Amino acid sequence: MKIKAIKQNGIVQTLCRMCDTRCAINVHLKDGVITDITPFDRHPVNQGRMCPRGSAAIDLFYHPHRILKPLKRQPDGTFSNVSWERALDEIAEKMLGLKDQFGARSIGVWKGEGVGFYQQEGYPRRFIQAFGSPNYFSNDSACYNGRYMGHSLVTGFWNAFPEFSHADLIILLGTNPPICHPPFMREFADGRERGVKLVVIDPRLNPVACYADIFAQPYPGTDGALGWGLIRYLIETKNYDSELVERYSIGFDKIAAYANKFTPEYVEKQSGIYSHVVENIAQLVIKNRPNISIFPGTGLEHHDNGVNSVRTFAILACLCGNIDISCGLFWPEEMGGRQLNLYGEIQLEDQKPIGADKFPALYDIRKECHSMTAMDYMLGNGEYPLKGLILTAANPAVTNPNTRKVEKALSTLDLFVVNDFFLTPTAKLAHYVLPAATFLERSEIHYFPKRQMVNLTQKVLEISGVRDEYSLWHDLAHRLGFGEKYFPWKNEEEVNRWILEPTGISLEKLRRHPEGYVYKAVRYKKHLKKKLPTPSGKIEFASAYLKSLGLSEIPEYVPPHHICQTSTLYPFVLTTGARKSLFYHSRHQNIPRFRNVHPQAVVEMHPQDAADLGISNDDLVRVTSEVGSLDIRAKVRHPSELRPGVIEIYHGWEDWRVNFLTHDDINDPISGFPALKAVQVKVEKIGR
Amino acid sequence: MKVVFVEHNRCLACRNCERVCSFQEAGGFKSENTNIWVQIDMDQRTIFTLTCLQCDVAACLNICPANAIRRDPHTGAVVVDEKLCVGCRMCVFACPFGCMHFENLQHVAAKCDLCGGDPKCVKNCMAGALHYADINYLANMKRKKVDQTFAKTSPLHEGPHRS
Repeated sequence: MKIKAIKQNGIVQTLCRMCDTRCAINVHLKDGVITDITPFDRHPVNQGRMCPRGSAAIDLFYHPHRILKPLKRQPDGTFSNVSWERALDEIAEKMLGLKDQFGARSIGVWKGEGVGFYQQEGYPRRFIQAFGSPNYFSNDSACYNGRYMGHSLVTGFWNAFPEFSHADLIILLGTNPPICHPPFMREFADGRERGVKLVVIDPRLNPVACYADIFAQPYPGTDGALGWGLIRYLIETKNYDSELVERYSIGFDKIAAYANKFTPEYVEKQSGIYSHVVENIAQLVIKNRPNISIFPGTGLEHHDNGVNSVRTFAILACLCGNIDISCGLFWPEEMGGRQLNLYGEIQLEDQKPIGADKFPALYDIRKECHSMTAMDYMLGNGEYPLKGLILTAANPAVTNPNTRKVEKALSTLDLFVVNDFFLTPTAKLAHYVLPAATFLERSEIHYFPKRQMVNLTQKVLEISGVRDEYSLWHDLAHRLGFGEKYFPWKNEEEVNRWILEPTGISLEKLRRHPEGYVYKAVRYKKHLKKKLPTPSGKIEFASAYLKSLGLSEIPEYVPPHHICQTSTLYPFVLTTGARKSLFYHSRHQNIPRFRNVHPQAVVEMHPQDAADLGISNDDLVRVTSEVGSLDIRAKVRHPSELRPGVIEIYHGWEDWRVNFLTHDDINDPISGFPALKAVQVKVEKIGR
Repeated sequence: MKVVFVEHNRCLACRNCERVCSFQEAGGFKSENTNIWVQIDMDQRTIFTLTCLQCDVAACLNICPANAIRRDPHTGAVVVDEKLCVGCRMCVFACPFGCMHFENLQHVAAKCDLCGGDPKCVKNCMAGALHYADINYLANMKRKKVDQTFAKTSPLHEGPHRS
C-alpha cells in the first residue's frame, strides 16, 4: 500500500478513536512510518496517560487484513476488485433505480460506532435526508439512546460524563468504568482520596466493587425498583430539595403517590437487594446530597423497562438537588457551530420513518429509526419495502439482536453497501465493500461537553485508494444530483471551516490547541435563570408528552419479562455485553496480542449452577434461547461475581455470536431497545 | 533514585500495566511475561498490585552467583543480563517481595528494568495509581496523603480543643 504521511519525521498530536473516550495522543513518525503512539501530556481527559488500545492504533492502521480497494461481490459470492469510480457509479445508478421504483424511503443509511459520532454522524444524516429518505439507523439503536432518553425526558438534556472527582457519593449502576471508560478511574481515585463514598449496583461483581462502601447485586433489570425505593425514602423522611421541587418541577405529587408502595421490604422482594441495604444506600444519599454522581451504564438500558429505570434515577438525582452541578446532571452549553443534519430544512416525517410508529419517542427525541424494525421492512413485513442500505463501520450481523434474522434480512437487500476497515461478517453480505479510513486518516471536530471544550483531530497519514467518510458521501451525493446543493465542500477541511464559521473560532486556533479549546467557560445552576429544554421548561417528574403517546406518565416500575414470565424451559437469565478491556464491541478482535488476553468466548457462570449441571471450567456447553443456540466454553466464576441463575457472555465475538440468542422483539416501549441483558436461556453440557 | 511506586488505594485492577509490561518484555500480552502483578482477591475483595522496588541493598543482586544482576548506571534499576544468567533461580528465592520471575522458555530470570527510564506501565495507568518519581518525593507524597486521611477520620486530628 502507498502511504503518505503529513510529515516524514516528528510527532503529530491528535485524539485516539480506538474507543469513544477520545484520549489525546502523540503519533510518532519516522521516515513516514508510525513508530510509536504515546499519551499527550496536556489534555484534561487522559492527563498524560493512555490505555493499550491507544498504542494498538498502529496495528489497526497497518493491519494486513485491511481493505484497501473497493470490492464487488460476484454472482458466485466471491469478491473482486473494482475501481472507486465504477463502484460509486453503479451504487448511484442502483439507488436512483430503487428510488424510481419504490420511492426514496426504500433506501436507508446506517452509521456504526467504528467511525464515531459528531460530524461522522452528521454526514450520513445529511446525505439520506437530501436523498429524500427519513431512514437513518445507527449503533445508537442499542446503546446510549436509552440513557439519553431516560434523562432528557426528565431534564431535557443529558451529559454522559459527570465530574466524579467532585462528588461526595458515587452511585454506579450496571457499569464497569475501569473497563468501559478508563479515564473515570482517575476521577474515582481522586474522589477516594477526598473520602468519597462509592455504591455499586450490578448483577456482576467487578473489581471496582472491591472499593465500594456498598455493593448490591440485584436481579437483572430490577434497578427501577431500587430507584423508587430511594425516592420513597427521601420523600418519606422529607430529605429532598423542596425548593427545586416547588419552583422548578412538575408532577411531584404523582411520583410521591406512586412511590408509596416501594418500602425497603417491597424493594427487596422485587430486586433481591436486602431491605437494610436499601436503607443504607438511602442514608448515604441523604447524607451526601446534592453532591452525588449517579451513573447508569448500558446495564440499565438493555432491558424492556430500561428507559423508565434510567428516568427513575434521573428523578432521584433531581430530588437530591443534583441538577446542573459539576458532579451531577450537568447541563452543557453548545458551541454554536453549524449542524450538518437538515432537520430544520427538510421535513420527512410524512415519509414514515421506520419504527417511528412503534417507538415515536425514539424518532421525536433522537431522530433515529429503529434498526430492529428495519429487518422486518427488509424481509417484506413492513409498511413499505426497504431495498437498499449504505452502512458505514457497523457490524449488525454480530451486534444486533437476533443475528440470524439480521443476516437473512441483509441478504435480501437489492443494494447493500458496506464501508469498513475489514471484511466483517456484515461486510461479507454486501454487494459492494468500500475501504474506510481510520481516525488517523481524518481531520474532524470533537466536543467534550462536560468541559465545554472542542478539539480538532489531525490527519496523520493517507493511504492511496482509501477515501475518508466525507469523500464517500460527497462523491455519492454528486452522482445523485444533490451534491452541489448539500455537499459543496471540496474536502473535510472545508467542512470543518463551515461548521466553525458562526462561532468565530478558526481551524488554525484549534490546531494550536491540541490540549482542547474551551469554547465557553462552564457555568452551573443555569436552570435558575433559564427554562430547561423540556416541553414544560421544568423538571418533568411526570411527562405529559409520554402520556400523549399512551405511555406511562411517570416511570412506573414494571418487572422485566424474565421475572413476569418465568420459564421452566429456559431457567437461566443471560446478560450479554459486560465489556472487555481490550475489545470495543466487535472491534479489535483481530489484533493478535489482544487475543492473548481474550483468546475465545466463554459463558461465565456461578459455581453452584455449574456444579448442578456437571459443568467444569472449559467444558463445552450449549446455551439455547427461544431464538437460537450457541456452543461455547464454560468459565466458572467466583461465587460472589454472579448471582446463581445469571450467566454472562460478551457481545462482540465474531466467532461466537451471542446475538444468535437475543430477541429483537422484546423491546423497551419508549426507546425500542432490545433486552440484551435479560435473555431467558437454558444451559447444557455437550462435551469437554 | 527514581522507582515505580504503586499507590494501592488508587488501583482499580484494569490490568493494563501487566499487559503493556509483557508486551515490552516479550511482544505479546501474556501474563506469564509480566514484571508487574495485579492480584484480585474476590474473597477478601482486595486489589494488590506489586512490582520491583529496586532495593538499595538488593537481595537478588547480592545472591546472584553468575554476576548477571547489576545496577543500571543511568536509571539505578537492578537489571538482569540474560547473557550471563545461568538460570539457577537463586534470585527468585532471595527476593523478599516475590518480584523476580523466571522465564520458563528462555530459562533466565526476569524483572522490572524500568523500561530503561521510561516505564510503560506508568504511562498506561489511567487511574494514576502508578508513579515514576524520586523515592523521597514519593515518600513525601504518601506522608501528606496519610495526613489528609487521618485529618478526616481520626479524632486526634480534629484540631485544637475549644475550652
